[in-house]
Amino acid sequence: MIWEVFRQEAAGDYHTHCGNVHAPDREMAKQFAVIQHGRRKPAHSLWVVPQDEVAEVDEDEADFGGSTDKSYRWAMTYNDVEPAAREVADSEAEQAEAGADRGDS
Amino acid sequence: MDIAEVRDRAGPREFNAGDDMPEEYREAATRMIQFHANSEIMGAYLERPFVRQAPSLDRKLAFSAKVQDEIGHGQLLYRAAESLGVKTRDEMLDELANGEGKFLNCFHYPMDSWAETPMIAFFVDGAAMRRQATLKSSSWEPYAHAMDKVCFEEGFHVKHGEDILRELMNGSRKEQRMVQDAFDEWWPRIVQFFGPTDDDSTHHGFAEEVGLKQMTNDQLRSAFLNAYVPKAEQYGLEIPEYPRIEERDDGTYEVRESDLDWDEFFAIAKNDYEPGVGQIDGRARTQEAVEWVRGVLDEREQAAGTTAAAAD
Repeated sequence: MIWEVFRQEAAGDYHTHCGNVHAPDREMAKQFAVIQHGRRKPAHSLWVVPQDEVAEVDEDEADFGGSTDKSYRWAMTYNDVEPAAREVADSEAEQAEAGADRGDS
Repeated sequence: MDIAEVRDRAGPREFNAGDDMPEEYREAATRMIQFHANSEIMGAYLERPFVRQAPSLDRKLAFSAKVQDEIGHGQLLYRAAESLGVKTRDEMLDELANGEGKFLNCFHYPMDSWAETPMIAFFVDGAAMRRQATLKSSSWEPYAHAMDKVCFEEGFHVKHGEDILRELMNGSRKEQRMVQDAFDEWWPRIVQFFGPTDDDSTHHGFAEEVGLKQMTNDQLRSAFLNAYVPKAEQYGLEIPEYPRIEERDDGTYEVRESDLDWDEFFAIAKNDYEPGVGQIDGRARTQEAVEWVRGVLDEREQAAGTTAAAAD
């Protein structure tokens, strides 16, 4: 049986996928995950999840973010105003980065 | 874990569902996050009519996306609250419907005209974002994680709200006057958004000691006024004379609390204020009307559970 492993580097961080292990049950999966994925890279906590329990939807079947123009829901669209406060500017910067990662122009 | 240890360890994102948290912490965190979740939902209901009433297609699309975001924020926050093990999501939604659930003062007032929309979409959302940015450092990790996503999305809301304000204040005399009237009416409520001065705030001390919140009401209000008073003035809005607001030497602001209507504020805090009661009941009726959707989902979940158990 294959278990997907998610590692959290420090308290408060997100658990992110880092690989998988073969194991006959949950207890063994936790032990193997510790050995294989918690040994060198920083680890504060690990999750193991049966691979069968992970459902996937990929870009072939879904239009992530939609296929029509949705610029109205991005802060960058509203260019006639300057962000009112630092947290608004931070949010806009995060959105711009996400847009760039998505390959939006 | 006992309270002393919680106080000692209380740092940003320090605790999660894997920690054995004392009852007092779990109840305080539930109260705070449930209030926040309820506010997202009630704010969305207040803005929903403007999907229909928007003056252009662009505004309609943006309002529709925003209302959808706010409902999503409510969902995230009920999950974060649920993870404390005190109340289930169903219990919290029922409390909101039957009038026990508390939420932000500003969402108890009706909003009737398009000229009022920047009051919520710019000023109230801006105030909320000021607060939410500090809550990214809350000691309850699921709450802080919810704030990451909420703040990521809110930049659009606040800038869109400001764009409406900019457009109206560059419009006709009548539009400008309507916005000023709305501002005169909403400004005291917006100043009250952060609640009473620290000394009068019932729950603050404990929440700060255990790291649930990071800044005091006064600090947040001051930071908000610092950023948003100049914005109001930039667009030609006149700041109402009352409540009197004085700038201190260190650049922070002091609000004359006696100029504000605290009887109304505390009636609202008890869900006793009439327009707010109507809005709570309105939402309860909507929730009731889509009961069949939840019924279908529950049936499916139960059926799936039976199949999975049979397969084992």
